[in-house]
Amino acid sequence: MLINSVIIILREVFEAALIVSVLLAMCQILHLSRRYFLFSLVLGSLLAIVYAINISSISMLFEGIGQEIINAALHFISFICLQILIFSMANSSSSKMILWAIVGCFAAAFVREGFEIIIYILGFVGIEHLFDSVIAGSFIGAGVGFSIGVFFYYLIVSFNSLNGLRLSLFVLTLVSGAMMIQALQLLIQADIIISQKPLWNSSGWVSEGSVIGQILYALLGYESTPSPIQVVAYFMSLLFSSTLAVKSLNAYKWRIKE
Amino acid sequence: MRILFIIYLITVVVSASAAPTVDIAIRNHLFYPSKVDIPADTKIKLLIDNQDPTAEEFESYELNREKVIPGHSKGVIFIGPLPAGEYPFFGEFFPKTAQGTVIVK
Repeated sequence: MLINSVIIILREVFEAALIVSVLLAMCQILHLSRRYFLFSLVLGSLLAIVYAINISSISMLFEGIGQEIINAALHFISFICLQILIFSMANSSSSKMILWAIVGCFAAAFVREGFEIIIYILGFVGIEHLFDSVIAGSFIGAGVGFSIGVFFYYLIVSFNSLNGLRLSLFVLTLVSGAMMIQALQLLIQADIIISQKPLWNSSGWVSEGSVIGQILYALLGYESTPSPIQVVAYFMSLLFSSTLAVKSLNAYKWRIKE
Repeated sequence: MRILFIIYLITVVVSASAAPTVDIAIRNHLFYPSKVDIPADTKIKLLIDNQDPTAEEFESYELNREKVIPGHSKGVIFIGPLPAGEYPFFGEFFPKTAQGTVIVK
């Protein structure tokens, strides 16, 4: 149970830590305030608790697909907020829109990953022979995930500001694609989007269950058997985000020249 | 609210073409039945009834499906249309015991 808890919690924390560390590093590079991080953490945690407590009734909404709709909405919110941040963070340093986009990104990440952690741990309350190992494993998993986030943060800020920004925008562009592909996957699972025959099957090369598969899932939204609509949406998302990122970088270069 | 209502309408329209339902229960961290036979090229609605007090996450890399089913709750997952073959699934929270296979014929 200990190892399983480590893996489950690490996977959830890693996905959130990736976005949070990159955005915090961008704030550091661009000298933006980070005080709303705590607000986002509290807001996201509260929403995650409310979601987790009501998950049974939420799941049965819309004839049993309520959970998919909420989770897809959280992914779309993250995607939209990421586009706002990719485009505007390096363009202007003081905007309420940037602030709310950061809050939206952080809070959506905390809700998305936090509710699963809460449901997982709450399920073991009262099961004495398992609870201790679940808690110990959860702390280890969270610690490792948090450490990866800290490492990523310091890796980005160790570069000069332009290269740090380049790396951050590159990662956010990839994560945007991951958000889009995961949102569509949830809508296919809910039968809102019609399920199509997979375009390819790469599970023989990289299994989604492997460590590399899990990392690629968090970073790229890796699916070994993606449907055509997911592939098209993914590359359109990458094209859109990278166009915004290039415009953003050019604006930043002008700013530092002046 | 308007967006939620539109999504709900879409859901109702989609569910009008009702898919056959297959019931799966989770008891003592085991799936019942652990082998599920379904016809090829047919959309199926899996109704998963978690009778355990602990939550479980239905997961299948082959089916491309993942859903948290809280303790003493039910969850719906649509799968297919699929070509003939075997598609393993497992409970991510109790992967050693909660294992099953969808057999498409």
